[in-house]
Amino acid sequence: MVAANFPGALVIRLSEILCRAAFLSLVATARVAGAAEGKDPYDSGQWSGMEEEFLRGQKVAFDERVKVTGPRFAEDAMNVPISLDASALGDVRRVMVLVDRNPIRKVLEFFPLRTRPTLAFRFKLQQSSPVRVAALGADGVWRVGSTWVEATGGGCTAPGATRASGTWHQTLGQSQARFFGQGDATRLRLRVMHPMDTGLVAGIPAFYLEELALRDEAGTEYLKLQTFEPVSENPVFSFDLPAKPVGKLVLSGRDNNGNRVDAGVSP
Amino acid sequence: MRKTLMSMLLAGAFGVSAVAQAGPVTDKMITDDAKSTGDVLTWGMGNNGQRYSPLTKINTGNVKNLTPVWAFSFGGEKQRGQESQPVVHDGVMFVTGSYSRLFAIDAKSGKELWKYEHRLPDGIMPCCDVINRGAALYDNLVIFGTLDAQLVALDQKTGKVVWKEKLDDFQAGYSYTAAPMIVKGMVVTGVSGGEFGIVGRVDARDAKTGKLVWTRPVIEGHMGYKDGKENGVTGTTNATWPGDLWKTGGGATWLGGTYDSRTNLIYMGTGNPAPWNSHLRPGDNLYSCSTVAIDADTGKIVWHYQTTPNDGWDFDGVNEFVTYTTKDGRILGGKADRNGFFFVIDAKDGKLQNAFPFVKKITWATGFDLATGKPKFVAANRPGDPTKGADGKKGEVVFSAPSFLGGKNQMPMAFSPDTGLFYVPANEWGMEIWNEPITYKKGAAYLGAGFTIKTLDAKDIGGDYIGALRAVDPATGKIVWENRNNAPLWGGVMTTKGGLVFYGTPEGYLKALDAKSGKELWKFQTGSGVVAPPITWEQDGEQYVAVVSGWGGAVPLWGGDVAKKVNYLNQGGMVWVFKLHKG
Repeated sequence: MVAANFPGALVIRLSEILCRAAFLSLVATARVAGAAEGKDPYDSGQWSGMEEEFLRGQKVAFDERVKVTGPRFAEDAMNVPISLDASALGDVRRVMVLVDRNPIRKVLEFFPLRTRPTLAFRFKLQQSSPVRVAALGADGVWRVGSTWVEATGGGCTAPGATRASGTWHQTLGQSQARFFGQGDATRLRLRVMHPMDTGLVAGIPAFYLEELALRDEAGTEYLKLQTFEPVSENPVFSFDLPAKPVGKLVLSGRDNNGNRVDAGVSP
Repeated sequence: MRKTLMSMLLAGAFGVSAVAQAGPVTDKMITDDAKSTGDVLTWGMGNNGQRYSPLTKINTGNVKNLTPVWAFSFGGEKQRGQESQPVVHDGVMFVTGSYSRLFAIDAKSGKELWKYEHRLPDGIMPCCDVINRGAALYDNLVIFGTLDAQLVALDQKTGKVVWKEKLDDFQAGYSYTAAPMIVKGMVVTGVSGGEFGIVGRVDARDAKTGKLVWTRPVIEGHMGYKDGKENGVTGTTNATWPGDLWKTGGGATWLGGTYDSRTNLIYMGTGNPAPWNSHLRPGDNLYSCSTVAIDADTGKIVWHYQTTPNDGWDFDGVNEFVTYTTKDGRILGGKADRNGFFFVIDAKDGKLQNAFPFVKKITWATGFDLATGKPKFVAANRPGDPTKGADGKKGEVVFSAPSFLGGKNQMPMAFSPDTGLFYVPANEWGMEIWNEPITYKKGAAYLGAGFTIKTLDAKDIGGDYIGALRAVDPATGKIVWENRNNAPLWGGVMTTKGGLVFYGTPEGYLKALDAKSGKELWKFQTGSGVVAPPITWEQDGEQYVAVVSGWGGAVPLWGGDVAKKVNYLNQGGMVWVFKLHKG
């Protein structure tokens, strides 16, 4: 473990330097970027740069109706549970999760095609940071909700458990699904086995799921997800379907090495 | 100005333009690769593997002015052997590195455009270092194979994976190290893993989608398939293999192949039969240690020529079969085999035309019978049967030359139509080898032999050296000239119409020799050993030369006595690019 910790610690320092360099270079452009309506509840120095990078030229507003729930303190920085709910906005086409102070800031994009705009997942947090959820409503405005998670850090730059045991390739792409009833909706929890390497651990290249989609057997898409390096190892996602599906659902996807996920999900 | 316009008009007047063709790589561009100077689309600088460029801007008169343009580091902590030949298309170089990495680099400036690092499992089993020999280009794709036996196709512009196919199970010992080849819109690959009792085969897939078109095992008894249907058993089951040893018979097609559009044949070399202990498998053991010629359309073997029947020395027959045209218009192929003999074979029917030594010491055979195509074995030089040994556990030890690392190994030779000579990177060495009992176990080394590499006595080979770049005349069997090297040669060779032969050495030099005389005209120290073949192309009116540098491969792993000649060499991982210095 000591041997494994050393290169991780080294990379943390490097990534901090990189974060700071990025921050400094962005201060100069902060005034140019299209400032969001409303006030950033965390007054984060990184936000203007993130807006420039991910939401350039778009209408953006901070909006508390986009609910983001997370722990106050991340007990396990490699598995920080977040749930988001943008259903107060009505029709939502696209949701983006961004983390201000992560070395890789984009966590995922979620396209709730036939599901409610709610999602629960886990991600890797490098240090204490705001967690942003930007939801694109029918009015063409990105509405941003936030929460703050404290952390001692290192979630992006330490190797995952299956890396240490060397077993990841035996379960790669395997998936499990379970339905839960909740109110008038039906909650589906999915897990896909994948090491989700960030590329920030010395000697381990970035290796992560890029796309996941859930459709019924007729090919109608329920949802699409674009996932990035900060999503936790062996990702777990929970969605709210509008109704219990009649037939089987199909989960498909692929990672950045071209490995495919292809599984049936039965209610 | 006028001169520039004139040369542009001239270039346009010829069939194949010097200007790099932009856009998707087509079958025609691949067929013309040996003639087109603005790109290098294939491993071998043309599917026939001649490694000959018609470029003359760099020539015997001015090569002394060759200077570096840029160098590019593969970076990371993963160095080890770099055996890759870069390919160049539309101003972009695609080059693979150790540990299944692929880089796209601006060919003029050396700026990285993107990189792909394949995620390798911990349990990969490459026999002979974590190397890769290069990528193939087709349409908008760049395709390469990985150490965990996968084939990955990426978008040339973005580096995003477009398709990925599993070649085979890495836990059974399969891996992939060769450069894939494109033939008629198909990506053609072999497999590596001959030391683990895998079965060698040739796969052809739709290059755009990765979908399997046909597969042809190269060991007798195994079924081939085409379009998902049975396509005939290879050879005749049990004709040349006893019992069920053919089921784990080896014959790894680990170096890839060549193709000649005039014969429509894919020439694939096959590795040693498994296990090494030949007493367990009396018979020729077809088609191990052979060149097999496969019809690109049918996926069936049209002919084969076996260079070492019933091999007992690990003389893989994988070496490249390089086709050429004789003065009287015949299409022949040359092959410098691991067993120390150079073979000249009719490329249409596989009939042996000539076989002669290209190394000075060969102990296992005295020559070949040109009528039957069979070697004249020296019976006493076959490692002894362990069951006849004193304790039944170790057979009689023999001293044999060449060593199992071969008179020539993975490093490809070149052929010049101007001189009519093959330029062969040869090595002089021997081995002590003995056999042991062995049974097959999935994923475990399947040898049944022990060995120690030995240097040869200076008086047997005329000096204290291992490597020698030799100019070989296929018509006469004469070695016209040689340039000796202290360490074993392990990089490939390139020759040009400018009258030059380029090759690298483990000592780190990229060298240019006069193709007619062998005189050394230029060399450059790359900072680590060169175990990869050079290339050349033309861009914006200037001729460039590139080579990958990074010491490694099989020699430092298996070198035995040779270690003292190479153990001071440092690892690396760089691409070096050169052009003529101006003014």
